[in-house]
Amino acid sequence: MRNAGLARPAAIRWSPLVTVLAFALPVMFVLAPLAIFLVYSFFSVDQGQIVYAPTLANYVRFFTDPVFLPVFWRTIVLCLSVAAISILLAYPAAYFLTTLRGRWRYALLMLLMVPLLMSYVIKIYAIRSILGLNGFLNKALVGLGILSEPSTLFVFNMNAILLTLTLLLIPFAILPIFLALERIPQVLLRASDDLGASSLQTFLRITLPLSLPGVASAASFVFVLAIGDFLTPQMVGGISGFTFGRILYSQFGTAYNWPFGAALSVALAVVVIVAILLGERFGRNRGASL
Amino acid sequence: MNQTSDLLTLHSVSKSYGTVPVLHGVDLSIRDGEFLTVLGPSGSGKTTVLRLIGGLEPLTAGEIRLDGRDISGMPINRRPFNTVFQDYALFPHLTVAGNVGYGLSVRHVPRKEIARRVAQALELVQLGRFAERFPAQLSGGQRQRVALARALICQPRLVLLDEPLAALDLELRRQMQEFLKSIQREVKTTFLFVTHDQEEAIGMADRICVMQAGHIRQLGSPHELYYKPNCEFVARFFGENNLVAGTLGETQGEFRAIETALGRLVCSVAGQPHLKAAATGARGFAAFRPEALRLAGDGDAGNRLSGAVADVAFAGSSTVATITAGGDAAQRLRLRLPSRVEGSALTAGETVALSFAPHEGHLVLA
Amino acid sequence: MIAPPRLSTILLAAITVLVAVLLYSPLFVPIVSSFFPVARGEVDWSSPTIETYVALTGNHEILSALRTTLVVGFCTVVLSVVGGTLLALYYHGRRAGRSALQFIIFLPFLMPPIISGLALLIFFREIGLERSLLTVIIGHTAFVLAIVYRTVLTRLQSMSRTLVEASYDLGATKWQTFWRIILPNLSSAMVGGAILAFALSFDETMITILVTGTQSTLPVRLWAMMRLGFSPDINALVALILMFTVLLCALAARFLVPRQIATQRA
Repeated sequence: MRNAGLARPAAIRWSPLVTVLAFALPVMFVLAPLAIFLVYSFFSVDQGQIVYAPTLANYVRFFTDPVFLPVFWRTIVLCLSVAAISILLAYPAAYFLTTLRGRWRYALLMLLMVPLLMSYVIKIYAIRSILGLNGFLNKALVGLGILSEPSTLFVFNMNAILLTLTLLLIPFAILPIFLALERIPQVLLRASDDLGASSLQTFLRITLPLSLPGVASAASFVFVLAIGDFLTPQMVGGISGFTFGRILYSQFGTAYNWPFGAALSVALAVVVIVAILLGERFGRNRGASL
Repeated sequence: MNQTSDLLTLHSVSKSYGTVPVLHGVDLSIRDGEFLTVLGPSGSGKTTVLRLIGGLEPLTAGEIRLDGRDISGMPINRRPFNTVFQDYALFPHLTVAGNVGYGLSVRHVPRKEIARRVAQALELVQLGRFAERFPAQLSGGQRQRVALARALICQPRLVLLDEPLAALDLELRRQMQEFLKSIQREVKTTFLFVTHDQEEAIGMADRICVMQAGHIRQLGSPHELYYKPNCEFVARFFGENNLVAGTLGETQGEFRAIETALGRLVCSVAGQPHLKAAATGARGFAAFRPEALRLAGDGDAGNRLSGAVADVAFAGSSTVATITAGGDAAQRLRLRLPSRVEGSALTAGETVALSFAPHEGHLVLA
Repeated sequence: MIAPPRLSTILLAAITVLVAVLLYSPLFVPIVSSFFPVARGEVDWSSPTIETYVALTGNHEILSALRTTLVVGFCTVVLSVVGGTLLALYYHGRRAGRSALQFIIFLPFLMPPIISGLALLIFFREIGLERSLLTVIIGHTAFVLAIVYRTVLTRLQSMSRTLVEASYDLGATKWQTFWRIILPNLSSAMVGGAILAFALSFDETMITILVTGTQSTLPVRLWAMMRLGFSPDINALVALILMFTVLLCALAARFLVPRQIATQRA
């Protein structure tokens, strides 16, 4: 084939050397650590020293020991709850955004995203004090007469983790749902209206189904962010709020069993990958073809 | 014989994208200093020809020769051609002056020299005052002229224009057509102009190359293509044409008869030896333009046709009538008459007799 | 949307307001407290003050942590912009294994920080690299690389192919085309990506906690202080950080929102 020299002019032609260079850093600082990580999960610890002999002991322990699997499961349920509540609150807000016109819509969206820009650590601290015995929430509930005295219901336990994570992650749920709602062509809604449907019917039969991919994305997004967070449970969970993330973290701290920690992380990674794949699968925008 | 030399020749050039063939063994020669238009519908391969010449795509087979030298393997940036792209491809981060002078500055021409030549080029396209503007601040027509100036300043042997007027509105397009034509005459550079608009082609070109489905159908002057199309496609592509199918009869000097469902028609074959030599009984068409048809008077010696008026449409300076002729064959003919204030002489439904002179009819082989 | 009946709009608006209040509640307390003295849990509204801000300037612990954060941020930005741009160019050039490469680039961003951080921790230990500022920088770069890569790649892909063709057509070499045409058109995407990368690095907490050495970035320092409780000048810090981050994002938006490219029709 005759070659006009710059056969693919839109590209810069690189030699194979550069392929190697391109892969070098990402492989070294991403793939290699993850590979070593995986390999580590098959090692064990003997009297504080790491034994580099492959074994399935860590995984066996994970599945058989009465502590780990239940906590793992509880954590998953907790994070699913966080996702569910976030969506329940985010959906109406996102829908309301779409009822606004032009500049107001994006201004309010930005306004709702601003809390994400605040220092993460301080946010957790502030929420903790709001939920605390002397905090704003208790004061309000007592003031409104719902409680007779301040409650420890949301202090240093799983509920606290649930509420804190939800509060932190709601904006991450608003965004995908808003984008999915926005993508629904106005024409479809007008057609439904034209065919005689009431607003509620239009919502239930047209808007809601077409926005579900956005809801799936939001759920996956929030779930992954929640389950990977080990700082929040540490700070607001107290003694009874024990999540998988904390157990994991302690393997690299006080428990000092890095191989076991690696194995636990692999379990966590599997759940995360499944969540991401599900989010991809159901988050694909099927609707809105005219 | 006064022969202008061939600047660029294509020999059996083929191009496929993967397994999809786009050009089939194309032969073309471009004369020095001419304005050649490559015309065809989308998918005909006309843009591909331009890109192959420019070096933007590699050939699959064949050769391209410049002054007789094979340049098929020459990279884009060494070919002495410049392209005016369909989307103008002006560099958004450079001023008009920066854009126009780009070709010179990458060749390390001294800055003073660049400034002088840029000013000259901008004067040529009447954009002298716009040197410091950015492309985003210009209108479509102005951007087009900047692209042209940018292509001309390097004094290329050939300027390739890829449907440059496609995005402009009608009025602006007409102005630009005249403008391009006058520029080409002034700088005497060879222009290769690709378009799908046949009116544009007829108006601007010295020669037109008609392409269809990866083949060149005909290459000739606008007049030649209009009055002596060599195939049905070209005959139908330019303006309106009446084509009546039939079989070739005997040759009589510069004329030849053709037997059709509307009767025996005599057409001119002057200067078309292949039509004179074609076998009797060969299938073909009689081709005559709507403006060649006349309302027949009694003494008319030309080809006579009759039919019923199906429709009369006022189209400004002319009035177009559609006639159905030939009974079962139901041939539709178009007749074009100059319009009159009093209204058309024809009414729908009436039977009319038409005629056209033999020298205004041509033959096309099927 | 078609205007629904008044009641449902009101209901929706109410929920939205509730959500907004919930989201802003953790911001409210520290920021308000930065301007008013708080004694025994009660805000003293009568005497607004900037004492806390002044006190902040004397807080050496915080200031050194801030300095560390800025150093880490700067190095991360430099590495990720150079790396991200080169990788985006590689992908755009349709070279071997580019999907696999892109997947690897995105991994640290998609994976929970705890996994990325722990993987790096083990990795550093195995190769004998002491935890230090360098390990933090590496961790941050791996994390934000995907962002810069994505912004640059998006810009690259939206660049009209004919721009590069035109450059060659006018006689430029590959290098001239790269420096004079491609890079200038990428510059705003690179800057926007850099700003986002800096913002992300600034507040990055989880990975940093795992791979940090003796020098702490601001989030790590705050995390350590959290057990002991905060001094009032931290409220001032919070307010300032928030304002700073908001400005950063607004600035990034200015560079990343697509502008009219001159090759489009008028």
